[in-house]
Amino acid sequence: MKKYDNPMSRQVESLPELIETQYEDLEPKARKVLSFQEIYNIQKIVLTGCGDSLAAAMATKHAFEMLTGIPTEVVTAIELGRFYCKKHLGIDCRNPLVIAVSNSGNGARVSEAVQRAAKHGCFVLGVTGNEQSPLGIHSDKILKLCIPPFESAPGTRSYLVSVMALLLLAIRFGEVRHQYTMDQAMDYRADIKNQGEQLRALLPEMEDACAEVAEAWKEFPCYDFVGSGFDYATAWLGQAKILEAAGKFAMHINTEEWFHLNFFARNAREMGTVLVANTTSPGHSRAREMVKYANVLHRPLLVITDGGAEDFEGEKAVYIKVPKPKYPITMPLTHFAPVCLLAAYIAELIGETYGRGCEGDWSFCKGGAGVTESEIIVD
Amino acid sequence: MLKNFKIKTKYNDVYDITKEVRQTVEESGVQEGICIVYNPHSTAGITVYSPWDPDGFLDLDEEIRRLIPTKVDFKHQHDTPQDAAGHVKSALLGISNTFIVHEGKLLLGGSQGIYFLEFDGPRNREYFVKVVSD
Repeated sequence: MKKYDNPMSRQVESLPELIETQYEDLEPKARKVLSFQEIYNIQKIVLTGCGDSLAAAMATKHAFEMLTGIPTEVVTAIELGRFYCKKHLGIDCRNPLVIAVSNSGNGARVSEAVQRAAKHGCFVLGVTGNEQSPLGIHSDKILKLCIPPFESAPGTRSYLVSVMALLLLAIRFGEVRHQYTMDQAMDYRADIKNQGEQLRALLPEMEDACAEVAEAWKEFPCYDFVGSGFDYATAWLGQAKILEAAGKFAMHINTEEWFHLNFFARNAREMGTVLVANTTSPGHSRAREMVKYANVLHRPLLVITDGGAEDFEGEKAVYIKVPKPKYPITMPLTHFAPVCLLAAYIAELIGETYGRGCEGDWSFCKGGAGVTESEIIVD
Repeated sequence: MLKNFKIKTKYNDVYDITKEVRQTVEESGVQEGICIVYNPHSTAGITVYSPWDPDGFLDLDEEIRRLIPTKVDFKHQHDTPQDAAGHVKSALLGISNTFIVHEGKLLLGGSQGIYFLEFDGPRNREYFVKVVSD
Protein backbone atom coordinates (compact mmCIF):
# COMPACT_ATOMS: atom_id res chain seq x y z
CA MET A 1 0.00 0.00 0.00
CA LYS A 2 2.28 2.70 -1.30
CA LYS A 3 0.22 5.66 -0.11
CA TYR A 4 1.20 4.91 3.51
CA ASP A 5 4.77 4.08 2.62
CA ASN A 6 7.24 4.90 5.38
CA PRO A 7 10.58 3.61 6.76
CA MET A 8 8.93 1.08 9.06
CA SER A 9 6.70 -0.37 6.34
CA ARG A 10 9.72 -0.49 4.05
CA GLN A 11 11.51 -2.51 6.74
CA VAL A 12 8.61 -4.97 6.62
CA GLU A 13 8.80 -5.13 2.83
CA SER A 14 12.50 -5.97 3.09
CA LEU A 15 11.90 -8.96 5.37
CA PRO A 16 11.63 -11.72 2.72
CA GLU A 17 15.06 -10.91 1.33
CA LEU A 18 16.41 -10.42 4.84
CA ILE A 19 15.28 -13.93 5.81
CA GLU A 20 17.16 -15.41 2.89
CA THR A 21 20.38 -13.43 3.33
CA GLN A 22 20.47 -13.65 7.11
CA TYR A 23 19.99 -17.39 6.97
CA GLU A 24 23.20 -17.68 4.94
CA ASP A 25 25.02 -15.51 7.46
CA LEU A 26 23.67 -17.03 10.66
CA GLU A 27 23.43 -20.74 9.89
CA PRO A 28 27.20 -21.39 9.89
CA LYS A 29 27.69 -19.07 12.87
CA ALA A 30 25.02 -20.78 14.96
CA ARG A 31 26.57 -24.13 14.00
CA LYS A 32 30.02 -23.19 15.27
CA VAL A 33 29.51 -20.77 18.13
CA LEU A 34 29.43 -23.47 20.83
CA SER A 35 31.51 -26.65 20.84
CA PHE A 36 30.06 -30.13 21.34
CA GLN A 37 31.39 -30.02 24.90
CA GLU A 38 29.67 -26.74 25.62
CA ILE A 39 26.40 -27.93 24.12
CA TYR A 40 26.46 -31.21 26.06
CA ASN A 41 27.17 -29.28 29.24
CA ILE A 42 23.88 -27.39 29.11
CA GLN A 43 21.47 -28.39 31.89
CA LYS A 44 19.26 -25.31 31.78
CA ILE A 45 18.88 -22.26 29.54
CA VAL A 46 17.98 -18.71 30.52
CA LEU A 47 17.04 -16.37 27.70
CA THR A 48 17.27 -12.70 28.52
CA GLY A 49 17.03 -9.31 26.87
CA CYS A 50 15.10 -6.05 26.90
CA GLY A 51 12.44 -4.70 24.57
CA ASP A 52 12.29 -6.46 21.21
CA SER A 53 15.05 -8.84 22.31
CA LEU A 54 12.88 -9.96 25.21
CA ALA A 55 10.07 -10.59 22.72
CA ALA A 56 12.49 -12.66 20.60
CA ALA A 57 13.29 -14.72 23.69
CA MET A 58 9.58 -15.28 24.38
CA ALA A 59 9.05 -16.20 20.73
CA THR A 60 11.64 -18.99 20.87
CA LYS A 61 11.44 -20.36 24.41
CA HIS A 62 9.11 -23.15 23.33
CA ALA A 63 11.35 -24.00 20.40
CA PHE A 64 14.30 -24.42 22.75
CA GLU A 65 12.34 -26.75 25.00
CA MET A 66 10.70 -28.72 22.20
CA LEU A 67 13.88 -29.18 20.19
CA THR A 68 16.43 -29.70 22.93
CA GLY A 69 14.44 -31.06 25.86
CA ILE A 70 16.39 -28.61 28.04
CA PRO A 71 14.34 -26.59 30.56
CA THR A 72 14.35 -22.99 29.31
CA GLU A 73 13.28 -19.82 31.08
CA VAL A 74 12.74 -16.31 29.76
CA VAL A 75 14.00 -13.91 32.40
CA THR A 76 13.89 -10.14 31.95
CA ALA A 77 17.23 -8.40 32.25
CA ILE A 78 16.31 -6.58 35.45
CA GLU A 79 15.08 -9.83 37.04
CA LEU A 80 18.29 -11.63 36.12
CA GLY A 81 20.48 -8.70 37.12
CA ARG A 82 18.84 -7.79 40.41
CA PHE A 83 16.49 -10.51 41.62
CA TYR A 84 17.27 -14.00 40.24
CA CYS A 85 18.23 -16.34 43.08
CA LYS A 86 22.01 -16.59 43.34
CA LYS A 87 21.75 -20.21 44.46
CA HIS A 88 20.46 -21.06 41.02
CA LEU A 89 23.31 -19.36 39.16
CA GLY A 90 26.55 -21.18 38.41
CA ILE A 91 25.20 -24.62 39.28
CA ASP A 92 26.20 -27.91 37.63
CA CYS A 93 29.40 -26.57 36.08
CA ARG A 94 28.55 -23.19 34.54
CA ASN A 95 24.79 -23.60 34.30
CA PRO A 96 22.38 -22.22 33.36
CA LEU A 97 23.56 -21.20 29.93
CA VAL A 98 22.52 -17.55 29.72
CA ILE A 99 21.72 -16.43 26.19
CA ALA A 100 21.53 -12.66 26.20
CA VAL A 101 20.18 -10.88 23.13
CA SER A 102 20.86 -7.27 22.17
CA ASN A 103 21.80 -6.12 18.70
CA SER A 104 23.51 -2.98 19.99
CA GLY A 105 24.83 -4.73 23.09
CA ASN A 106 24.78 -1.40 24.89
CA GLY A 107 21.72 -1.69 27.12
CA ALA A 108 22.72 -1.18 30.75
CA ARG A 109 20.33 -3.80 32.16
CA VAL A 110 21.49 -6.55 29.81
CA SER A 111 25.09 -5.66 30.58
CA GLU A 112 24.33 -5.84 34.28
CA ALA A 113 22.47 -9.16 33.90
CA VAL A 114 25.32 -10.88 32.07
CA GLN A 115 27.92 -9.48 34.47
CA ARG A 116 25.97 -10.90 37.38
CA ALA A 117 25.42 -14.23 35.64
CA ALA A 118 29.13 -14.47 34.81
CA LYS A 119 30.15 -13.45 38.33
CA HIS A 120 28.12 -16.34 39.77
CA GLY A 121 29.49 -18.89 37.33
CA CYS A 122 27.05 -19.07 34.43
CA PHE A 123 28.22 -19.54 30.86
CA VAL A 124 27.11 -16.51 28.84
CA LEU A 125 26.41 -16.56 25.13
CA GLY A 126 25.87 -13.06 23.76
CA VAL A 127 23.78 -12.61 20.62
CA THR A 128 24.82 -9.17 19.44
CA GLY A 129 25.98 -7.13 16.50
CA ASN A 130 28.61 -5.38 18.58
CA GLU A 131 31.48 -7.45 19.93
CA GLN A 132 33.00 -4.44 21.69
CA SER A 133 29.78 -3.57 23.51
CA PRO A 134 29.31 -4.30 27.21
CA LEU A 135 27.33 -7.40 26.28
CA GLY A 136 30.06 -8.54 23.90
CA ILE A 137 32.82 -7.93 26.44
CA HIS A 138 31.06 -9.80 29.25
CA SER A 139 30.04 -12.84 27.17
CA ASP A 140 32.02 -16.09 27.05
CA LYS A 141 31.07 -16.56 23.42
CA ILE A 142 29.36 -14.31 20.88
CA LEU A 143 26.98 -15.10 18.07
CA LYS A 144 27.71 -12.06 15.93
CA LEU A 145 24.76 -10.50 14.15
CA CYS A 146 25.41 -8.59 10.92
CA ILE A 147 22.19 -6.81 10.00
CA PRO A 148 22.61 -4.73 6.85
CA PRO A 149 21.94 -1.00 7.47
CA PHE A 150 18.48 0.28 6.64
CA GLU A 151 16.36 3.39 7.20
CA SER A 152 15.85 3.91 10.91
CA ALA A 153 12.48 2.80 12.30
CA PRO A 154 11.16 0.92 15.33
CA GLY A 155 12.91 -2.45 15.33
CA THR A 156 11.50 -4.74 12.69
CA ARG A 157 14.48 -6.19 10.83
CA SER A 158 16.49 -6.56 14.02
CA TYR A 159 13.63 -8.48 15.64
CA LEU A 160 13.50 -10.96 12.79
CA VAL A 161 17.24 -11.52 12.95
CA SER A 162 17.14 -12.05 16.72
CA VAL A 163 14.36 -14.63 16.35
CA MET A 164 16.22 -16.39 13.57
CA ALA A 165 19.48 -16.49 15.54
CA LEU A 166 17.72 -18.04 18.53
CA LEU A 167 15.84 -20.58 16.40
CA LEU A 168 19.07 -21.66 14.72
CA LEU A 169 20.73 -22.08 18.10
CA ALA A 170 17.83 -24.21 19.34
CA ILE A 171 17.99 -26.39 16.22
CA ARG A 172 21.74 -26.77 16.62
CA PHE A 173 21.55 -27.75 20.29
CA GLY A 174 18.93 -30.40 19.52
CA GLU A 175 20.92 -31.72 16.59
CA VAL A 176 24.18 -32.08 18.50
CA ARG A 177 22.43 -33.68 21.47
CA HIS A 178 20.94 -36.22 19.07
CA GLN A 179 17.32 -35.27 19.72
CA TYR A 180 16.82 -35.80 15.97
CA THR A 181 18.89 -36.55 12.91
CA MET A 182 21.04 -34.14 10.95
CA ASP A 183 18.56 -34.52 8.08
CA GLN A 184 15.73 -33.45 10.38
CA ALA A 185 17.80 -30.50 11.56
CA MET A 186 18.34 -29.45 7.97
CA ASP A 187 14.60 -29.70 7.36
CA TYR A 188 13.96 -27.34 10.28
CA ARG A 189 16.54 -24.97 8.82
CA ALA A 190 14.99 -25.17 5.36
CA ASP A 191 11.66 -24.25 6.93
CA ILE A 192 13.22 -21.06 8.24
CA LYS A 193 14.68 -20.14 4.89
CA ASN A 194 11.50 -20.99 2.97
CA GLN A 195 9.49 -18.47 4.92
CA GLY A 196 11.08 -15.66 2.92
CA GLU A 197 9.22 -16.84 -0.16
CA GLN A 198 6.00 -17.48 1.75
CA LEU A 199 6.04 -14.00 3.26
CA ARG A 200 6.85 -12.43 -0.10
CA ALA A 201 3.72 -14.03 -1.59
CA LEU A 202 1.44 -12.87 1.24
CA LEU A 203 2.78 -9.34 1.75
CA PRO A 204 0.65 -7.48 -0.84
CA GLU A 205 -2.59 -8.81 0.64
CA MET A 206 -1.27 -8.19 4.16
CA GLU A 207 -0.41 -4.58 3.31
CA ASP A 208 -3.86 -3.89 1.87
CA ALA A 209 -5.61 -5.34 4.91
CA CYS A 210 -3.38 -3.50 7.39
CA ALA A 211 -3.90 -0.22 5.54
CA GLU A 212 -7.68 -0.62 5.72
CA VAL A 213 -7.55 -1.44 9.42
CA ALA A 214 -5.16 1.44 10.12
CA GLU A 215 -7.52 3.85 8.37
CA ALA A 216 -10.45 2.62 10.45
CA TRP A 217 -8.52 2.50 13.73
CA LYS A 218 -6.24 5.55 13.47
CA GLU A 219 -8.23 7.69 15.93
CA PHE A 220 -8.68 4.98 18.55
CA PRO A 221 -7.20 5.88 21.93
CA CYS A 222 -6.02 2.38 22.75
CA TYR A 223 -5.11 -0.99 21.27
CA ASP A 224 -5.19 -4.44 22.82
CA PHE A 225 -2.82 -7.20 21.63
CA VAL A 226 -3.67 -10.77 22.64
CA GLY A 227 -2.02 -14.16 22.14
CA SER A 228 -0.71 -17.23 23.94
CA GLY A 229 2.34 -19.47 23.59
CA PHE A 230 4.75 -18.00 21.08
CA ASP A 231 1.87 -15.99 19.58
CA TYR A 232 2.02 -13.96 22.79
CA ALA A 233 5.48 -12.78 21.80
CA THR A 234 4.03 -11.45 18.54
CA ALA A 235 1.21 -9.76 20.46
CA TRP A 236 3.78 -8.29 22.83
CA LEU A 237 5.75 -6.96 19.89
CA GLY A 238 2.57 -5.44 18.45
CA GLN A 239 1.91 -3.34 21.53
CA ALA A 240 5.57 -2.32 21.58
CA LYS A 241 5.41 -1.10 17.97
CA ILE A 242 2.22 0.90 18.58
CA LEU A 243 3.93 2.64 21.49
CA GLU A 244 7.17 3.26 19.62
CA ALA A 245 5.80 4.18 16.22
CA ALA A 246 2.44 5.77 16.99
CA GLY A 247 2.91 6.89 20.59
CA LYS A 248 -0.47 5.52 21.63
CA PHE A 249 -1.50 3.38 24.56
CA ALA A 250 -1.40 -0.31 23.89
CA MET A 251 -1.66 -3.41 26.04
CA HIS A 252 -0.43 -6.97 25.70
CA ILE A 253 -2.06 -9.89 27.43
CA ASN A 254 -2.34 -13.62 27.06
CA THR A 255 -5.56 -15.11 25.79
CA GLU A 256 -6.67 -16.45 29.15
CA GLU A 257 -5.86 -13.29 31.10
CA TRP A 258 -7.88 -11.28 28.59
CA PHE A 259 -10.97 -12.98 30.02
CA HIS A 260 -9.87 -12.07 33.52
CA LEU A 261 -8.89 -8.46 32.87
CA ASN A 262 -8.89 -6.64 29.56
CA PHE A 263 -12.41 -7.42 28.48
CA PHE A 264 -13.68 -5.21 31.33
CA ALA A 265 -12.42 -2.09 29.56
CA ARG A 266 -15.08 0.45 28.61
CA ASN A 267 -15.30 2.14 25.20
CA ALA A 268 -14.83 -1.28 23.66
CA ARG A 269 -16.02 -0.01 20.27
CA GLU A 270 -12.92 2.18 20.15
CA MET A 271 -10.42 -0.38 21.31
CA GLY A 272 -8.56 -1.88 18.37
CA THR A 273 -8.13 -5.52 19.35
CA VAL A 274 -5.52 -7.68 17.68
CA LEU A 275 -5.50 -11.41 18.30
CA VAL A 276 -2.49 -13.44 17.17
CA ALA A 277 -3.69 -17.01 16.86
CA ASN A 278 -2.01 -19.69 14.81
CA THR A 279 -4.22 -22.69 14.09
CA THR A 280 -1.75 -25.26 15.46
CA SER A 281 -1.59 -23.63 18.88
CA PRO A 282 -2.61 -25.71 21.90
CA GLY A 283 -4.42 -22.53 22.97
CA HIS A 284 -6.50 -22.31 19.81
CA SER A 285 -9.84 -23.22 21.42
CA ARG A 286 -9.43 -20.34 23.85
CA ALA A 287 -8.55 -18.01 20.97
CA ARG A 288 -11.81 -19.03 19.25
CA GLU A 289 -13.74 -18.20 22.42
CA MET A 290 -11.98 -14.87 22.69
CA VAL A 291 -12.98 -13.90 19.13
CA LYS A 292 -16.59 -14.74 19.94
CA TYR A 293 -16.70 -12.57 23.08
CA ALA A 294 -14.73 -9.72 21.50
CA ASN A 295 -17.59 -9.58 19.01
CA VAL A 296 -20.18 -9.67 21.81
CA LEU A 297 -18.42 -6.58 23.19
CA HIS A 298 -18.44 -4.96 19.71
CA ARG A 299 -14.69 -4.67 19.71
CA PRO A 300 -13.07 -3.83 16.35
CA LEU A 301 -11.16 -7.05 15.79
CA LEU A 302 -8.15 -8.08 13.73
CA VAL A 303 -7.06 -11.73 13.76
CA ILE A 304 -3.55 -12.62 12.58
CA THR A 305 -3.55 -16.30 11.67
CA ASP A 306 -2.18 -18.91 9.32
CA GLY A 307 -5.79 -20.05 8.88
CA GLY A 308 -8.94 -18.05 8.16
CA ALA A 309 -12.45 -17.22 9.35
CA GLU A 310 -13.38 -20.90 9.08
CA ASP A 311 -10.97 -21.65 11.94
CA PHE A 312 -12.88 -19.19 14.15
CA GLU A 313 -16.42 -20.39 13.44
CA GLY A 314 -16.87 -17.65 10.87
CA GLU A 315 -16.85 -14.92 13.52
CA LYS A 316 -16.74 -11.36 12.26
CA ALA A 317 -13.20 -9.98 12.15
CA VAL A 318 -10.56 -8.83 9.71
CA TYR A 319 -8.45 -11.91 9.14
CA ILE A 320 -4.87 -11.42 8.02
CA LYS A 321 -3.21 -14.48 6.58
CA VAL A 322 0.38 -15.16 7.61
CA PRO A 323 2.70 -17.98 6.46
CA LYS A 324 1.95 -21.56 7.43
CA PRO A 325 5.37 -23.17 7.71
CA LYS A 326 5.95 -26.91 7.93
CA TYR A 327 7.04 -26.60 11.57
CA PRO A 328 5.00 -24.26 13.84
CA ILE A 329 8.08 -23.34 15.89
CA THR A 330 9.28 -21.19 13.00
CA MET A 331 6.07 -19.12 12.84
CA PRO A 332 7.37 -16.26 15.02
CA LEU A 333 9.80 -15.48 12.22
CA THR A 334 7.10 -13.95 10.03
CA HIS A 335 3.85 -13.67 11.98
CA PHE A 336 4.88 -10.31 13.40
CA ALA A 337 4.90 -8.60 9.98
CA PRO A 338 1.25 -7.41 10.18
CA VAL A 339 1.62 -5.84 13.65
CA CYS A 340 4.57 -3.81 12.37
CA LEU A 341 2.63 -2.75 9.28
CA LEU A 342 -0.36 -1.73 11.38
CA ALA A 343 1.80 0.41 13.69
CA ALA A 344 3.68 1.87 10.71
CA TYR A 345 0.48 2.87 8.91
CA ILE A 346 -1.23 4.34 11.98
CA ALA A 347 1.88 6.42 12.71
CA GLU A 348 1.91 7.64 9.14
CA LEU A 349 -1.82 8.44 9.10
CA ILE A 350 -1.72 10.47 12.30
CA GLY A 351 1.59 12.13 11.40
CA GLU A 352 3.42 10.79 14.42
CA THR A 353 7.22 10.76 14.61
CA TYR A 354 8.82 7.47 15.69
CA GLY A 355 9.92 7.59 19.30
CA ARG A 356 8.58 11.17 19.47
CA GLY A 357 11.77 12.14 17.70
CA CYS A 358 13.54 12.12 21.08
CA GLU A 359 12.57 15.77 21.31
CA GLY A 360 10.97 17.93 23.97
CA ASP A 361 10.05 15.90 27.02
CA TRP A 362 11.56 12.86 25.32
CA SER A 363 14.96 14.41 24.71
CA PHE A 364 16.45 12.53 27.68
CA CYS A 365 16.31 9.33 25.64
CA LYS A 366 18.25 10.65 22.64
CA GLY A 367 20.68 8.07 21.27
CA GLY A 368 19.18 5.43 23.51
CA ALA A 369 20.39 7.24 26.63
CA GLY A 370 17.28 6.17 28.52
CA VAL A 371 18.49 2.56 28.47
CA THR A 372 22.25 2.91 28.18
CA GLU A 373 22.87 5.51 30.86
CA SER A 374 21.73 3.75 33.98
CA GLU A 375 23.55 2.81 37.15
CA ILE A 376 24.89 -0.72 37.00
CA ILE A 377 24.87 -2.72 40.22
CA VAL A 378 26.32 -6.21 40.13
CA ASP A 379 25.56 -8.17 43.27
CA MET B 1 27.24 -53.40 -15.32
CA LEU B 2 26.52 -50.88 -12.56
CA LYS B 3 23.51 -51.16 -10.30
CA ASN B 4 22.32 -48.75 -7.62
CA PHE B 5 20.40 -49.72 -4.49
CA LYS B 6 18.63 -47.43 -2.02
CA ILE B 7 18.17 -48.16 1.65
CA LYS B 8 16.54 -46.28 4.48
CA THR B 9 18.67 -46.91 7.52
CA LYS B 10 18.16 -46.78 11.25
CA TYR B 11 20.65 -45.39 13.75
CA ASN B 12 23.84 -47.45 13.94
CA ASP B 13 22.36 -50.46 12.17
CA VAL B 14 23.59 -53.31 9.97
CA TYR B 15 22.02 -54.30 6.61
CA ASP B 16 22.60 -57.62 4.87
CA ILE B 17 23.09 -56.86 1.16
CA THR B 18 24.50 -60.25 0.14
CA LYS B 19 21.40 -61.28 -1.81
CA GLU B 20 21.34 -58.08 -3.87
CA VAL B 21 25.03 -58.37 -4.71
CA ARG B 22 24.69 -62.05 -5.73
CA GLN B 23 21.71 -61.25 -7.95
CA THR B 24 23.50 -58.37 -9.62
CA VAL B 25 26.44 -60.61 -10.47
CA GLU B 26 24.14 -63.25 -11.94
CA GLU B 27 22.13 -60.72 -13.92
CA SER B 28 25.30 -59.18 -15.36
CA GLY B 29 26.14 -62.30 -17.37
CA VAL B 30 29.79 -61.91 -16.45
CA GLN B 31 31.39 -65.32 -16.07
CA GLU B 32 34.86 -64.35 -14.88
CA GLY B 33 35.70 -60.96 -13.44
CA ILE B 34 35.39 -58.80 -10.38
CA CYS B 35 32.56 -57.24 -8.45
CA ILE B 36 32.96 -54.01 -6.51
CA VAL B 37 30.49 -53.03 -3.80
CA TYR B 38 30.77 -49.35 -3.00
CA ASN B 39 28.95 -46.85 -0.82
CA PRO B 40 29.31 -43.13 -1.60
CA HIS B 41 28.98 -42.00 2.02
CA SER B 42 31.46 -40.90 4.66
CA THR B 43 29.60 -42.18 7.73
CA ALA B 44 28.75 -45.69 6.51
CA GLY B 45 30.83 -48.75 5.70
CA ILE B 46 30.85 -51.96 3.66
CA THR B 47 32.20 -55.11 5.25
CA VAL B 48 32.20 -58.91 5.20
CA TYR B 49 31.04 -60.71 8.32
CA SER B 50 29.69 -64.05 9.41
CA PRO B 51 25.90 -64.26 9.16
CA TRP B 52 25.42 -67.32 11.34
CA ASP B 53 25.07 -65.86 14.80
CA PRO B 54 23.04 -62.61 15.01
CA ASP B 55 24.77 -61.81 18.30
CA GLY B 56 27.98 -61.49 16.31
CA PHE B 57 26.70 -58.17 15.03
CA LEU B 58 26.37 -56.96 18.61
CA ASP B 59 30.04 -57.87 19.10
CA LEU B 60 30.96 -55.97 15.96
CA ASP B 61 28.96 -52.95 17.09
CA GLU B 62 30.40 -53.05 20.58
CA GLU B 63 33.96 -53.35 19.38
CA ILE B 64 33.58 -50.54 16.87
CA ARG B 65 32.09 -48.33 19.60
CA ARG B 66 34.90 -49.31 21.98
CA LEU B 67 37.57 -48.46 19.44
CA ILE B 68 35.87 -45.28 18.24
CA PRO B 69 33.55 -44.02 20.96
CA THR B 70 31.13 -41.19 20.29
CA LYS B 71 32.64 -38.36 22.30
CA VAL B 72 32.22 -34.64 22.53
CA ASP B 73 35.85 -33.63 22.00
CA PHE B 74 36.26 -34.54 18.35
CA LYS B 75 38.05 -31.77 16.44
CA HIS B 76 35.46 -32.05 13.65
CA GLN B 77 32.54 -30.14 15.14
CA HIS B 78 30.67 -29.13 12.01
CA ASP B 79 27.87 -31.64 12.44
CA THR B 80 27.34 -33.85 15.48
CA PRO B 81 29.42 -36.15 17.72
CA GLN B 82 27.71 -39.18 16.14
CA ASP B 83 28.62 -37.87 12.72
CA ALA B 84 32.23 -37.19 13.71
CA ALA B 85 32.57 -40.72 15.10
CA GLY B 86 30.89 -42.05 11.98
CA HIS B 87 33.53 -40.44 9.76
CA VAL B 88 36.33 -42.17 11.67
CA LYS B 89 34.55 -45.55 11.65
CA SER B 90 33.90 -45.25 7.93
CA ALA B 91 37.51 -44.34 7.20
CA LEU B 92 38.89 -47.24 9.24
CA LEU B 93 36.46 -49.92 8.05
CA GLY B 94 36.26 -48.75 4.45
CA ILE B 95 33.52 -47.85 2.08
CA SER B 96 33.98 -50.61 -0.50
CA ASN B 97 34.91 -54.24 -0.98
CA THR B 98 36.05 -56.16 -4.05
CA PHE B 99 34.97 -59.73 -4.78
CA ILE B 100 35.84 -62.34 -7.37
CA VAL B 101 33.29 -63.45 -9.96
CA HIS B 102 33.84 -67.05 -10.97
CA GLU B 103 31.70 -69.17 -13.29
CA GLY B 104 29.01 -66.48 -13.34
CA LYS B 105 28.65 -66.37 -9.57
CA LEU B 106 29.93 -64.36 -6.64
CA LEU B 107 32.83 -66.18 -5.01
CA LEU B 108 31.90 -65.96 -1.36
CA GLY B 109 32.82 -68.30 1.50
CA GLY B 110 30.16 -70.24 3.36
CA SER B 111 30.36 -68.00 6.41
CA GLN B 112 30.70 -64.74 4.58
CA GLY B 113 27.95 -62.18 4.13
CA ILE B 114 28.21 -58.67 2.74
CA TYR B 115 26.95 -55.93 4.99
CA PHE B 116 26.20 -52.24 4.79
CA LEU B 117 27.08 -50.61 8.11
CA GLU B 118 25.29 -47.44 9.16
CA PHE B 119 27.39 -45.38 11.57
CA ASP B 120 24.92 -42.50 11.87
CA GLY B 121 21.30 -42.60 10.74
CA PRO B 122 18.45 -42.73 10.29
CA ARG B 123 19.42 -41.67 6.78
CA ASN B 124 18.47 -42.26 3.18
CA ARG B 125 21.46 -44.21 1.85
CA GLU B 126 22.56 -45.89 -1.34
CA TYR B 127 25.24 -48.25 -2.54
CA PHE B 128 26.51 -49.39 -5.92
CA VAL B 129 27.42 -52.79 -7.30
CA LYS B 130 29.76 -52.81 -10.29
CA VAL B 131 30.51 -56.05 -12.17
CA VAL B 132 33.48 -56.06 -14.55
CA SER B 133 34.45 -58.88 -16.90
CA ASP B 134 38.09 -60.07 -17.27
